[in-house]
Amino acid sequence: MTTLPSVLGTGLIAAGVGFLAVAAIGFWRLPDLLSRLHVLTKADTAGLSLVALGAACLTGTPASILPLGLCVLLTAISGATVGHLVARSVTPRGGRS
Amino acid sequence: MIAFDLALAAGILLCAVSALTRRDRTASVAAFMVLGLLVALSWVRLAAPDVALAEAAIGAGLTGALFLRAARRLGPLRPAAGRTLAVPAALVASGLGGGLAWVFASASPPAIYAPLVAASLPESGVSNPVTAVLLNFRAWDTLLEIAVLVVALLVANLLGSRRLVPVSLGEMTLPFARIVAPISILLAGHLLWQGSSAPGGAFQAGAVLAGGLLALVLAGLAPTGTLVVRGALIAGLSGLAVFLIAALGSEALTGSLLGYPNRAEKVWIVAIEAALTLSIAATLCLLFTGFEKRKTS
Repeated sequence: MTTLPSVLGTGLIAAGVGFLAVAAIGFWRLPDLLSRLHVLTKADTAGLSLVALGAACLTGTPASILPLGLCVLLTAISGATVGHLVARSVTPRGGRS
Repeated sequence: MIAFDLALAAGILLCAVSALTRRDRTASVAAFMVLGLLVALSWVRLAAPDVALAEAAIGAGLTGALFLRAARRLGPLRPAAGRTLAVPAALVASGLGGGLAWVFASASPPAIYAPLVAASLPESGVSNPVTAVLLNFRAWDTLLEIAVLVVALLVANLLGSRRLVPVSLGEMTLPFARIVAPISILLAGHLLWQGSSAPGGAFQAGAVLAGGLLALVLAGLAPTGTLVVRGALIAGLSGLAVFLIAALGSEALTGSLLGYPNRAEKVWIVAIEAALTLSIAATLCLLFTGFEKRKTS
């Protein structure tokens, strides 16, 4: 079945996986902690959101969209917070105080 | 999907090797937590979502947090520590692995238990076979498991583990805790209620609730006074108490221990699970934060 939602969903998931792959390559290739954090937090959030959006397109039921949205929200906020905390732990005096 | 399964198995082994060979405790614990998440994923692939939820919430999440706390307390690893134990440990582990493989290979197909559960599922009061087994058919086992958790709590209390004094993590963690804590309460309630008909239950709900509470504690938003710790201790012990009262009550009402009255099974099961959820959450939180008021890291 190649309906519009299924094509759109697959495309979005592919784009999300692409983002995650870029994040993994960046994590592997980048030299220091701060730039690695930079690539992980941004690309991860974008990649997961795209995958979740694609999955929502594929399933198309409101009951599945709510947990997917919750996943995106929780990952986004915990990724941002943990990234901040890790960066804070390596900057002198625990960040600008 | 076979390629995915093979990659998953390889990833699990890689994480296990990494967790064992790292010379830095934090890195070892991180590898252990990733291992737990991959194992949870493999439980999903084995069509056991209940175990997957428990593994992700308790095995990877809270055990990892407890390990991190212990690692901080133990300090850095001594360079040659553990080398002498490596060979006996490897022997024991391969013996255990070989034994399990032998049992798995020689066991008859597990055709006895599942049909029995499926046949008596309508009598259990719930429609999730895992909850039916845990809280009805084999409720006695679960009661003893909760007793083990209570023993852990009491031993930790007797040993007097020092109470966590959270260092300030800055304002950026406040919105995180303020969003995560309410969601974890909602999610715990959802898992608890869903447990009677779909994957979920007291252990998963309790672990999620404990995670939310720990987010509050670490952000410095939760009260940490002696009264609160005592209250949490009582809450931690209350699960076993409610379970025991339910066991004795059902004995008095129906004449069989943990044989719930007819057609009220679901009420009994959900009530016990609700008490267990609170108790498990309080226990896991206390094991992380410690009991006695003494300044520590």
